[in-house]
Amino acid sequence: MKTIKELNDKKIPIVRIDNSLEKYKTMPIFQEKVDKANEMLRTVGLPKMAPK
Amino acid sequence: MMVFEFTSEGPKGQIPKLIKFSETALKGFFNLAFGDKNLESGDVDDTVVSNNGDSDQVLATVVSAVFAFTDEQKDAWVYATGSSKSRTRLYRMGISKYFEDVKEDFLVFGLRNGEWENFTKEIEYTAFLVRRK
Repeated sequence: MKTIKELNDKKIPIVRIDNSLEKYKTMPIFQEKVDKANEMLRTVGLPKMAPK
Repeated sequence: MMVFEFTSEGPKGQIPKLIKFSETALKGFFNLAFGDKNLESGDVDDTVVSNNGDSDQVLATVVSAVFAFTDEQKDAWVYATGSSKSRTRLYRMGISKYFEDVKEDFLVFGLRNGEWENFTKEIEYTAFLVRRK
């Protein structure tokens, strides 16, 4: 399983922490999609899976 | 909740993009969405079609973000659907392209006729759902 450390150990870092993105956590971007996801959860739910 | 930023590079220049994994009403279930960041307003538009000639790299980057996100949230469900039929088809093509790698680490489901089924290449789905194995 790949971890962030392994991904970052590649020659070109893939993930770099950027605190300027924090503002987007509370900004309601993509809210319409989140609403649709909630609607899907209400009507369809999760896949049926065999227990682990 | 987690936000990633990356840059699309192509004939139309450098286009900053954001990927956001948003919480939903169900704990541990996240919506994945990404779109172009407007540098002036700070808004993000997931309906714009960039046509920057690097859709393969963009999709590969989104896949990388899913790996990174689920490294932190190992039991998370990640849900994604396109903002249009063509965008959803693009997602399906992206998952299909990386499916051999992705299926080693993820359970992958597609939504069809109102039911989740195991993802199969070449079948049209209206949404996608993944979870780390």
